[in-house]
Amino acid sequence: MIEFKDVSLVYPNGTQGLKNINVTIKDGEFVVIVGLSGAGKSTFIRSINRLVTPTSGSLLVDNEDILTFKGKDLRKLRTKTGMIFQNYNLVKRSSVLKNVLAGRLGHVGTVRSILNMYSKEDLSLAYESLKRVNIEEKIYNRADELSGGQQQRVSIARVLTQQPKYILADEPVASLDPPTSHQVMTYLKKINKEDGITTIVNLHFIDMAMEYADRIIGMRGGEIVFDGPASEVSEKTFEEIYGRSIREEDKIGGADKS
Amino acid sequence: MDQYSLPPKPKNAFMKRIRNIVIAIAVVALYIWTFTSIDIDWGRAIERSLNNFQRVIPKLFSPDWGALGEVSLSMLETVFIAFAGSLMAAIIAVPLAFLAANNMMGKYFSIIGKWILSAIRAFPDLILAILFVVAVGPNAFAGVLAIAIGSTGMLGKMFSEIIESIDMQVVEAMQANGANRIQILFYAVLPQIIPEFLSYAIYRFEVDIRASSILGIVGAGGIGTMIIFAANNRNWNEMGMILLAIIVVVTIIDFASAKIRQKIV
Repeated sequence: MIEFKDVSLVYPNGTQGLKNINVTIKDGEFVVIVGLSGAGKSTFIRSINRLVTPTSGSLLVDNEDILTFKGKDLRKLRTKTGMIFQNYNLVKRSSVLKNVLAGRLGHVGTVRSILNMYSKEDLSLAYESLKRVNIEEKIYNRADELSGGQQQRVSIARVLTQQPKYILADEPVASLDPPTSHQVMTYLKKINKEDGITTIVNLHFIDMAMEYADRIIGMRGGEIVFDGPASEVSEKTFEEIYGRSIREEDKIGGADKS
Repeated sequence: MDQYSLPPKPKNAFMKRIRNIVIAIAVVALYIWTFTSIDIDWGRAIERSLNNFQRVIPKLFSPDWGALGEVSLSMLETVFIAFAGSLMAAIIAVPLAFLAANNMMGKYFSIIGKWILSAIRAFPDLILAILFVVAVGPNAFAGVLAIAIGSTGMLGKMFSEIIESIDMQVVEAMQANGANRIQILFYAVLPQIIPEFLSYAIYRFEVDIRASSILGIVGAGGIGTMIIFAANNRNWNEMGMILLAIIVVVTIIDFASAKIRQKIV
């Protein structure tokens, strides 16, 4: 369970990233955070694994206040929260297998990992993760030989190999075309259902949010302006969240996926 | 096709032109001033070089093949000096580069590292060679040390710039999955930098071949010793042989280095 209690974040340059956030995310939920760029979605999601540190309030992950975490505690927290990025963030010159094994780094000892001495279980876990996103035939390819959608699937496999309790996805489809985007979201949703991994996804396409989310949180100016089940959401709700009327570019289209 | 006329140029173009003219005048004045104050006796210089050309150049083009054995040995020593020196430099440069890169150890270490590297770069190879000849005696080891220190400055700077240009998002991704600093170094940093490091080290070896062929002039081993003797004895046929050897070896190594570096990156 993730609990934000009166969390605020002011960046050193004075920008208010988060403003008095109070929200609880229960285990197993699939939450989509929507909002325009600069609304604080990224700051919200990065607070949970402390890639950024809120300046006030308390943030509980599994009943521990993570805002004071340092060193070992912090690495432990990050080991149980996997992250997926807009730009995939794979090591382009390394093989797909090595990229996926990087998901084990928090679990495996330093010496074993730098000598590439992974146990049979770790290796088969990595392979199984690749199979789950249907990219196992690329296991020995270099990451930069893959297309964007394939790279994002590898990064999902990396997160699966990490065996996290939470998955944070920061604009995972913003660099992908509509059909590939739907494919990636479908994998994320499937993993959420099958493994019960709590998943928080940042999106700015409204039709996608409505299609995949259990629950939608809307943000504007660092504040939560909407929080409710996806079934209660309509275009009107999005107009309130965005503070303007909905335009064509707010939708990704292609929802009738193949 | 439509005809477009370009939008008008920015207004301050006139001031810019005045500025450029002033700069041009200053540069020309500087050239005139330097050339007139060097005090060259042009007439004598031209007459002498015409004379020497007739005597020296034909001899350079008929190399003394009898000296081939001696020259090859000496050239081999030059290559060895360059190799040992650039290998040493490539190793010493790595920790200095990590120190100097501003995205690795923090701002203050970076400033210290950059200072060390530019201090090393301030010495030309030949000055280093003179220093080491005094320190370790007139032999090839002095040459190796001179090359090593001279190349460390340049390689350290190149390496640190490579480190600064890596994709830090990958580092962030490793942080986000709970990796510690050493794991991040091995999984996110090294794969991004090793090919470029190798490429620059090989390029530096290529440069060092040239640098080490001159070091013998101050007694630091290699083919430079033969050059200075041949020049002092006016033995232009042997000089021709030496130059031929240098040209052949440098060309081969340039070619090989280009091929290898193509494969790496």
